Amino acid sequence: MSEGIFWLASYPKSGNTWTRAFIANLRHEEPNEEVDINTLHTGAIASCRGWIDEVLGFDSADLSHDEIDLLRPAIYRWHAREANDGGYHKVHDAYTYLPNGEALIPAEATAGALYIMRNPLDVAISFAHHSNCSIDQSIENMGTPDFTFCGNTRRMTNQLRQKLLSWSAHVESWADASEINRLVVRYEDMRNDSLATFTRMCSFLGLPDDEYSVQIALDNCAFDKLQQQEKEKGFSEKAPHHESFFRKGKVGDWQETLTPEQIDRIVNDHHTVMKRFGYLDGSGNPVTALPLDRVS
Amino acid sequence: MPLHTFYYHAFGLNIHSELEIPPLMESKCTSIPDVTIKRGEVSITGLDKPKKSTPFFQTCKDQLWLNVPDIARFLVRDGNSIVVEAYPGSDEQSIRLYLLGSCIGTILHQRKTLVMHGNAVRFGDQCVIFAGHSGAGKSTLAAAFHKRGHEILADDVCAIDAEGRVAPGLPQLKLWQDAARKLEIDTGELERIRLQVEKYTFPLSESVSEHLPVAAIYILSSHNRDEFEIQQIKGMQKFNPLKNNTYRMGILEGLGLKTEHLGLCSKLAGRIDLARIIRPNDGFKLQQLLELIEADLQEKGIVAA
Repeated sequence: MSEGIFWLASYPKSGNTWTRAFIANLRHEEPNEEVDINTLHTGAIASCRGWIDEVLGFDSADLSHDEIDLLRPAIYRWHAREANDGGYHKVHDAYTYLPNGEALIPAEATAGALYIMRNPLDVAISFAHHSNCSIDQSIENMGTPDFTFCGNTRRMTNQLRQKLLSWSAHVESWADASEINRLVVRYEDMRNDSLATFTRMCSFLGLPDDEYSVQIALDNCAFDKLQQQEKEKGFSEKAPHHESFFRKGKVGDWQETLTPEQIDRIVNDHHTVMKRFGYLDGSGNPVTALPLDRVS
Repeated sequence: MPLHTFYYHAFGLNIHSELEIPPLMESKCTSIPDVTIKRGEVSITGLDKPKKSTPFFQTCKDQLWLNVPDIARFLVRDGNSIVVEAYPGSDEQSIRLYLLGSCIGTILHQRKTLVMHGNAVRFGDQCVIFAGHSGAGKSTLAAAFHKRGHEILADDVCAIDAEGRVAPGLPQLKLWQDAARKLEIDTGELERIRLQVEKYTFPLSESVSEHLPVAAIYILSSHNRDEFEIQQIKGMQKFNPLKNNTYRMGILEGLGLKTEHLGLCSKLAGRIDLARIIRPNDGFKLQQLLELIEADLQEKGIVAA
């Protein structure tokens, strides 16, 4: 029996795929070669229809989104108990509760949740590229309290509906989910202080956390290497309209890309959470990311 | 005691049912049934010693226990019996959906019939199966061929008899609202498969009564690139795709029928042409897909050039 599932939770475009590439490389038997980005078999995403249907024995496609959500906790409990896949499962759903009071992601199925967050000023840009929409639209989406992925009811989607909520509510839902064991990391620390941050992530996830292993895996999933692989052979997780998935990965891109109005709107929508996680300074001005020791 | 028994013929089986199953064609044949469908008690907890067990289905040799929360529990046994116990307040329409899906699929597995997860479309005296996972576009494609005058033998559950022929299934297609719109089918006149989802039953006016040999199988999938790709699958390579596109493989494994299934797959592999078609996942591009398939069928000599 396994001891539960490790979730890799994040709002989209916050460093989840990079984390999965890191884990895949860390667990790779041949540390001298990079793992192919098209075979990052770290574990199914929580909203993967196939992963759900394999436990159901009938088609989830004949159920409504709300009906499926009611079945999800039992499915995750089953996977946690029976499937010894040692998987690290990505999840973009916010940490929400069902109408019956049960958590969508049950605590008893969870070994831990690594929550990866990124400055919403940078997320807005990356999310716009990913969704093939304007930056203003992605800012609007990030501020929408009931924003969802795959919520279309007129056709079948490969993934189940995911309630993302607003960016702030997404962060708070996971960061404050006191019934589960969790570690919150910031993308900016993963970029700027990689070794220390990934070492903490490894310790939390029960992965090898010695300096040698972490550094080799980090080298193998360096952003330029992921970009190069995508250029050479494409990336199956890229959205169709999207020019490339591994685009810039840059910290602080907002300083060059966003207009003052766009920055104001994001700060206005998310100031409480931005302040809490060091994306606003003492005077309430946006910053890339305050050093961790200055984040209360 | 039930007041009435309904007699049906589908999937090559004579079915006697206490539940009315409207999409099935009523049959005059009231002789010994291959399958009976009855109302009765079905355990809340499942089977005694299941080989595979989840909160929703359990399997052991010759038995499936299926639990669709708030709809019904089903016990499917020995390839000839389905017992249904409805949850209070559930609707018949929803119950029928699972009867004609996982339950009938399991009956066919138990009878050692190969069941592909696909749609079968008639081309002359033969048929072609479009297989793939849920959402791959099987029904949409079948509906498009239907619009072009082809008859449909099976939707989703595709039973292949010992001679490598498809046994006609339900005389209907299940179509999502968006797919219907693309095909210019007005859903205003159609019934939803369940009230809770925007998926519709498209009845097929004419139905095929004879079994037709399978000439080719296409496995549908998609990628994030802009072009179509068609890969011919030959020899031993045919085996895994057939296995992976078997209907409800997860249930079949727990029924202890893996060896028999292996044999059925290799037998079919020797009889058919197999190809994988990968379409762009950005928009369905139905017209191009149809043309690609028709060209390939001509090349294979399945339809006249």
